[in-house]
Amino acid sequence: MLFQTPLITSYKLQMAELVNIQRWLTSIMVKPGSLAEKVQRADQHYHLDHSAVIRGTDRMSPQQKIGIYARGYIARLLECMSAEFPAVKYLMGEDLFETFAKAYLIRAPSTSPDLYDLGKHFPAFLKASQPKNKVVGNQTFDLPVDLATLERAIAEAARIPGLESQIPDTSSEPDIFHLFGDAGIHPSPCMLLLYLQYPLIDFVRAVQHDEQPDAPPPAESYVVVSRKNYIVYTHTLLPWQWFFLKGLQSTGSYRKAVEDAARSSGESTDSIMADLVLWLPIAENFGYVYRAL
Amino acid sequence: MDKTKTQRLGLPNLGLGVGLRSKHYSHLMHNDPVIDWFEIISENYINNFGYSRRVLEHVAGMRPIVMHGVSMSIGSTDPLNLTYLQQLKDLANFVNPVWISDHLCWTGVAHVNTHDLLPMPLTLESLEHVTERVNRVQDVLQRPLILENPSTYMEFHSSVLHEWEFMTELVNKTGCGLLLDVNNVFVSGSNHGFDPEFYIRNIPHHAVVQIHIAGPTDCEDYILDTHDQSVPTPVWKLYRLAQELTGGVSTLLEWDANIPEYDELVAEVGKARQVLLGDYPDVPVYRSPYLNAVSNPVDHQLQITNG
Ligand SMILES: [Fe+2]
Repeated sequence: MLFQTPLITSYKLQMAELVNIQRWLTSIMVKPGSLAEKVQRADQHYHLDHSAVIRGTDRMSPQQKIGIYARGYIARLLECMSAEFPAVKYLMGEDLFETFAKAYLIRAPSTSPDLYDLGKHFPAFLKASQPKNKVVGNQTFDLPVDLATLERAIAEAARIPGLESQIPDTSSEPDIFHLFGDAGIHPSPCMLLLYLQYPLIDFVRAVQHDEQPDAPPPAESYVVVSRKNYIVYTHTLLPWQWFFLKGLQSTGSYRKAVEDAARSSGESTDSIMADLVLWLPIAENFGYVYRAL
Repeated sequence: MDKTKTQRLGLPNLGLGVGLRSKHYSHLMHNDPVIDWFEIISENYINNFGYSRRVLEHVAGMRPIVMHGVSMSIGSTDPLNLTYLQQLKDLANFVNPVWISDHLCWTGVAHVNTHDLLPMPLTLESLEHVTERVNRVQDVLQRPLILENPSTYMEFHSSVLHEWEFMTELVNKTGCGLLLDVNNVFVSGSNHGFDPEFYIRNIPHHAVVQIHIAGPTDCEDYILDTHDQSVPTPVWKLYRLAQELTGGVSTLLEWDANIPEYDELVAEVGKARQVLLGDYPDVPVYRSPYLNAVSNPVDHQLQITNG
């Protein structure tokens, strides 16, 4: 038994080396700078010498080998960002998009097993990157932020739990419950509501179809993104419709949602109730809301 | 072949398969899959409750499914991600996979995920570390873990084992299975100057459950695992050797960038039949003068597909 103690100590020591090597390589991959700078900084910080850690060959130095991983990391995740934000990339142009996407990846490296989480905070990152002394009313910088917000919402609505697995489709059945106030109308779990400074739905669609649209002029836009029967719908709503859905989401109450819609849009509750009779079947068809008693 | 040990851990030879990719969703919802089985990237379905899951359910109703993961990070010195393992288990309850695989690698540390398959120093300490973690994962999943040899681009001075020795020891210590990627053996062998045939002859053949084939890219100074080309002749030769030594195991073609139409994909994996008869397609390793090729491409996981 006596000889086990030094063995365990040596194992722990070696494990500490493995921890250190993994931190060292991860930092080289995710930190900014030229390869030489990154390697040098990591060597210093982790008290390692890269040429004593990695074997060189006739054809490649240790640093060049590390470079394959460092380059691959950025290239791989830039492709993911491009896949999730094609319209932002089109708007900014490849170089500017890559500058922002790289800065984002450096600021917030992925911490999730799920690649889908990678772009989660990109809209907020773009917003935070706005120049501090931005002139009010100069909305050119809001455009990429809004666009990223919309593209992220579309990606989310395509994946988050929706109605498909739990609710039988009742939209084709005649039903007049909604005529009577609190009527078992619920917001879909995969409905996302966005208030944007630009009308961007057509722009995103055009980019998806490999067209080359011009950026639209600013105009406030009440957007809903949702999914029904595995199809993602993205539409512009009238303000009262948007506020009604928002109210339904936040209060869960049909009556309160009507009041919210009236207050926020400046229309009367009577007129909203009357309009809802016509509009709710449409809202159901696109999976914004569903009925359950 | 060692007849005293259960071949393929008792798992079936599923035949020829391809990866389930969003590009082919629409085709597969309306057509017979033709091939024998599918491999999915587990992470692509774990938190996905949209159309992808519907397609998966449909395909799983027609053909066997194998779950292949990229984020277990079995070699990381971070604690095992138990949430991820539970999600893997939940997905397994949904698709009922024939087995679950991941890679002998680590993907990051201090909670960072680089989404790359990073090489381990092949030391006795690494072996002990990975052994302990494989055992814990197998306890959670209640089934053997199948581990794949990754493509690697660098080796550590501290390594005292060859990768085939490391894999062999891991199999002996944990009873895990092997996913032998013969393309990765070719890539790593070219990059590090070992003989890929010797590697394949020296792994425990009874533990090989599955084979990956793919097309890499020759970037002059090194070969990159790009999964974006036809399978080249030298990889087919290793494939045949592996099939002879294992007595026949499930074959899967990986194609993750510049993904061809479904028919072309099926035709590519179908070449395996001729290869087993000794008839090798004459395909050189693709050479790229550009340095922008990406190993282990993952962006195909993010393509948004609507019905
Ligand atoms: Fe592979």
